[in-house]
Amino acid sequence: MDKLERLLNLTAALLNADRVLSADELRHRVAGYPPAKAAFRRSFERDKEDLRNMGIPLRTEAVPGTDPPIDGYRILRSEYAGRDLQLEPDELAALHLATSIVRLDGDDTGLRKLGGASADVSVPEVGHVPFDDRLARLIAAAANRRAVRFSYRGRDRSVEPWRLSFARGHWYLASWDQQREAERLFRVDRIAGPIELLDDAVEPLGIPTDPVSLRAWELSDEEPVAVRVAVDADQLAYFRHLVGEESISDDDTNIVTLQVRNHEAFRSFILSFLEHAEVLDPPEVRADIVNWLEALT
Amino acid sequence: MSPKMTAAERMSRLLAVIPWVVEQQGTHLDDITTRFDYPKDQLVEDLTGVVFFVGVHPFTPDSLIEVDIDDEEEVQIRYADWFSRPQRLTPSEGARLLTAGRSLLSGRFNAADDGDEATGPLLRALTKLGTALGEAAEQAVEVSLGNAPADTLDALRSALGQRQRIEIEYYTYGRDELTTRVVEPLRIFSDNGYWYLQAWCLSAIDERVFRVDRIRAARSGGEPMEHEPSDSGGSFLLRGDGPNVVLRLHPDSAWVAEYHPIESLEVDADGTLVVRMVVTSPSWFERLMLRLGPQAEILSADSPLSDAVVSGAAERVLQRYRQ
Repeated sequence: MDKLERLLNLTAALLNADRVLSADELRHRVAGYPPAKAAFRRSFERDKEDLRNMGIPLRTEAVPGTDPPIDGYRILRSEYAGRDLQLEPDELAALHLATSIVRLDGDDTGLRKLGGASADVSVPEVGHVPFDDRLARLIAAAANRRAVRFSYRGRDRSVEPWRLSFARGHWYLASWDQQREAERLFRVDRIAGPIELLDDAVEPLGIPTDPVSLRAWELSDEEPVAVRVAVDADQLAYFRHLVGEESISDDDTNIVTLQVRNHEAFRSFILSFLEHAEVLDPPEVRADIVNWLEALT
Repeated sequence: MSPKMTAAERMSRLLAVIPWVVEQQGTHLDDITTRFDYPKDQLVEDLTGVVFFVGVHPFTPDSLIEVDIDDEEEVQIRYADWFSRPQRLTPSEGARLLTAGRSLLSGRFNAADDGDEATGPLLRALTKLGTALGEAAEQAVEVSLGNAPADTLDALRSALGQRQRIEIEYYTYGRDELTTRVVEPLRIFSDNGYWYLQAWCLSAIDERVFRVDRIRAARSGGEPMEHEPSDSGGSFLLRGDGPNVVLRLHPDSAWVAEYHPIESLEVDADGTLVVRMVVTSPSWFERLMLRLGPQAEILSADSPLSDAVVSGAAERVLQRYRQ
């Protein structure tokens, strides 16, 4: 018998049961298992593994009234089936359009469970966004208002995720930091090691910082320093586009003032303009650029 | 899709196909094949040779699934009570759908025309999806496909749609110069958080890729295009030719390998990295090396790249500070 048929029979039996079934009962009730006990055991162990890998919530509980307890199995329909989203055909097609236009890394199996791809959607892919399981875990935590713990720059952080934002090639996590009791923004690709799920979030959901409006030199816990930069006229428009609307520019001049919290990131940014941008003040920031460059000559 | 699917791949498809067919009260074979990415031969074999024999103890006719495929290839499935509802979305699947939907909303694909028609169903779908994924799902994900000025993006899309040439002022980062050129837009796409324009450039007499946020002004030329738009998917950015450089990098500068296409990468026991990369323009090389400063050491470099190029660039910038 085809393995697929046995797996379907097993799943049907476990969904249909109104109580837990022991392995022995399953051996008799499910068509397709080898009769010998040892061979059955091997097949059954592999099948359980397969079902769990498919995301089927197979429960293991003791069979009532057994001592020593015997393992019993069942699948609760309420855990197996999702809520009916009652998607209209145009809504399902819109989701299909979204998954077609934007390519996310990894497998796309979710759409199938909602009714699959519509035949009348045919569009060229116009974008790519990186995606992985760690990100999915953080998104699920944010959606369910659960706190998480992870290691970041060598320190343990316990945070309540608010929002995951993709901007300029990176995923950012805006969250409430439970130790610092303030909002903190993290780069998801710099989170090291496992992401542990904690209790429900306690703080009310805040308005997350939008990383699109945040620049690299603004990302730090340090106090901001106002830095004035002179920019060549022909690069001014591009410079202003990069630094954002909110930075103070003296009208009719080529001088732009930035609020700098992260001096390394600022130095890296300003040097990408080569000799077309110059730090005017404060003196210590200007001296930092000069020292850095002199070390290279 | 590989021609031979595993039992698990077929099973997870069938667990979605069965409830769909039951709910539709009959579906054409071709529709199932398209919707669920299920090769037709395999589908027919699995429905008639496997699903038809699935049931529960005591396997009497009324406890077996009934599958019927008629002459018109319409499929009916009955008595599949246990499989009448699709599987629950995993948190990961839900997060992916939410992210894809949010990405599409960020694209502003319908800025020029009436946006409601296209984004309405998507917004409704995301709201419904959100209720299944968690109380705060609606604001859990935000995607920016690129932060190019909206009017530039609209002007390019409009030119692409009307197949007209467009004049752009472009800041060439690599060569550090502002140029005006006439281009024929072929494709607009987003890669890793930035919008790009692939176009035929009349100045270069070749195809070029422009980063949209470095386009300063875009004016429609009004003249029709001569080159065909391209809809090629897959890998977006072409790797340029040029001299190679091998750098030893401090661990803090590992971002270089993430941001730029590299030819090879080795990580030493002490965490320093050795990367080989292609340098497409000297000006790009100067910027990179000034930013890296003492965190990078040139191990080898093809002509004209050298330590002297780096110290020369540092000297040029210092000149400005000494005035």
